[in-house]
Amino acid sequence: MRFFVRVSGPVAPLVLVLAAAVGGLSTLAAQQPERAGLKQIISDVTAPAIDRGLRSADAPRPAQMAATRRWVDGSGGSAYLPNSFIVRFRPGTSAALQQAMLAQVDGTAGPALSYADFQVVTLVGGENPEAVAQRLGAQPDVEYAQARYRVRPMFTPSDPLYTLQWNYPQLEMERAWDINRGGSSGVIVAIIDTGVAFRSAVVRYNGIAWQREDGVKFPALGPVDVPFAAAPDLGADRFVAPRDFIWDDQLPFDFAGHGTHVAGTVGQLTNNSLGGAGMAFNVRLMPVKVIDTEWDFIFNSPFIGTDDTVARGIRYAVDNGAKVINMSIGRGGAPAPAVQSAITYAVSHGAFVAVAGGNEFGSGSAERLAEFAPQIDGMVAVGATGRDRLRAGYSTPGSFIELVAPGGDFDRGGSPAGILQQTLDLDLVETFAGPVSRYRAPRFDAFAYYYFEGTSMSTPHVSGLAALLMDQGVTSPGAVEAIMKQTATDLGPKGRDDEYGYGLINPRAALRGMGLAK
Amino acid sequence: MRAGRFAGLIHVAALAALAAAPSDAQAQAPPPPAPATSTGESAVRVRGFFEVGGRTFTASKSFEAVLGSSSGAFFGAGGEVLIGRNLFVSFGVSRFQSDGERVVVFDDEAFPLGIATTVKVVPIEISAGWRFGDPQRSVIPYLGGGLAWHKYTETSEFADSGDDVEFTKAGFQLLGGAEWRLGRWFGIAGEAGWMSVPDAFTEPTGAAAAFGEDDLGGAVFRVKVVIGR
Repeated sequence: MRFFVRVSGPVAPLVLVLAAAVGGLSTLAAQQPERAGLKQIISDVTAPAIDRGLRSADAPRPAQMAATRRWVDGSGGSAYLPNSFIVRFRPGTSAALQQAMLAQVDGTAGPALSYADFQVVTLVGGENPEAVAQRLGAQPDVEYAQARYRVRPMFTPSDPLYTLQWNYPQLEMERAWDINRGGSSGVIVAIIDTGVAFRSAVVRYNGIAWQREDGVKFPALGPVDVPFAAAPDLGADRFVAPRDFIWDDQLPFDFAGHGTHVAGTVGQLTNNSLGGAGMAFNVRLMPVKVIDTEWDFIFNSPFIGTDDTVARGIRYAVDNGAKVINMSIGRGGAPAPAVQSAITYAVSHGAFVAVAGGNEFGSGSAERLAEFAPQIDGMVAVGATGRDRLRAGYSTPGSFIELVAPGGDFDRGGSPAGILQQTLDLDLVETFAGPVSRYRAPRFDAFAYYYFEGTSMSTPHVSGLAALLMDQGVTSPGAVEAIMKQTATDLGPKGRDDEYGYGLINPRAALRGMGLAK
Repeated sequence: MRAGRFAGLIHVAALAALAAAPSDAQAQAPPPPAPATSTGESAVRVRGFFEVGGRTFTASKSFEAVLGSSSGAFFGAGGEVLIGRNLFVSFGVSRFQSDGERVVVFDDEAFPLGIATTVKVVPIEISAGWRFGDPQRSVIPYLGGGLAWHKYTETSEFADSGDDVEFTKAGFQLLGGAEWRLGRWFGIAGEAGWMSVPDAFTEPTGAAAAFGEDDLGGAVFRVKVVIGR
């Protein structure tokens, strides 16, 4: 089992070495019987998490509330208020002349407004304000005249790194958040992944000796006390029913940073003047660890991430109240009936499931955990797009792709074209990726903001939207899928296609749902 | 002589009978044209009415999903022209308005989203028909049919430019009812009708499309307060 991610950031040069190590370890791990490694919690409390992420000097901006009123559609696409307009006469224009000009358009000036060097004029004749303003604006004594165009309230998160998260503006999330401000704690999203940095602890492990795929041998670390902390931008009190199927306990710590990054896109704390934003920032998160990574192997975890582990994780999540399940994981090879059955179980019990569509463009490899998505109402296979809204170069096309979401594409824009979220400080995690001299016990209590790319990153956008829809009242997984498809922005060839499915998710349109006629 | 006196009496009686005869004869002959102010049967009469009623929409699933009910009350006003004894032409405007919320429809099930929406239907109707029986009777049944232009408006929260809906669609209607004359200038009518406004809902993204309903018509029941003779 693998997860779909590419990394950019401080450790980008180590990607190739890391990939080699992952490949070697996966092979070894797949051949291992279930084992019994040491895992002993030493302390529930550690020093506060270290946030080494980017910071911005931007002042926080206050959130604004939405407002509604009857509007008239303007010629330029902007709505305006009927029966009134704004005018400013040139200085020196006499009051009598002003009145005469207003009388010509059946206008009556309202009372003087504070902090205004213009007048708001009421049209008693019901004329079109745009036309009147145009006519009046042509008069030499008028500096300008205009209709009273609507200025839309927009929730803009105060998070300083939000400006680097191009993915949310691309999805018009600010307008979507005007409709649903990040969901609520009534919705639980399960992150079926490598774990999540969800709490503080110091845990004692026993590091065994091992050999990397490139032949480099690493000595046994012996018993090591490893510090953990909750990712500061995820918060510490919103996690529910954590479960680790790799260590068979309730401590699904993230040893790789993947699950934490994914969880950030689903629900990173938002408008908290810290770091970045997430899609559904008020929902509760359920970390379910089903994928083992390097440190799980080095610490000799009793289980590994296979189909049965994933299937158990899915069923656990559903049985413990998850309404949305994010699976930024996958594999090729033979079909996966155990996982398909678990997903069918999840959907039939009211949970929506989003699965990564795969990063294997051109390989011809089938994505086995996603390929049956079209057969299951309430399960969606997600492809990835870049900052230019084109299919990301790695994103696997296929008849099973149903939707796309931003997953980033380093090949078209470099690191900033990736998806930015907070996760573990990989400098302190991937000590095995370099020479043996730098090899030491990891720390999982330091964090930074990294650009990742992959369908792993696009999938949590869909899960986040599903969580918002669930919170909005769409409790049927099939209905969640249907409205996402119906409102998706069609990309590529007209209609459904294998690269973009039904198109790029359109959160605002999905959350507005259907009126009677439109 | 006695016979002569009788003959004289008969003659007087005959004269009396002749004097009385014109009134009986006039009762059996066709009446001469009478002034409009005396009989109320002028060739053309104009009346006005106010109406309240209820309507049930053919697109019942769609209205039920968004507005919580497929029926609702309306009110309106209009006028009638009575031509001769039986023919009438009627025109009227009414207004139906109801509040609901936007939904997601899947498998014929609607999930309300909590986003307020308001639907307004304003039919402008022109119909003609036949009033049966004697115009002077206290109860006058009638049947008719005609055209109706439905102005449909739907507004909702969080709407952007172009999101709200407004269109006018023509349809036809059949109607029937009876009028009770309660006074010289006053009457009440009860009326039932059926309207069809096909192809009104054509957007593929609405609840109507999800339910496969496109007709804005339906059954109408109304009570009219008629003012005029």
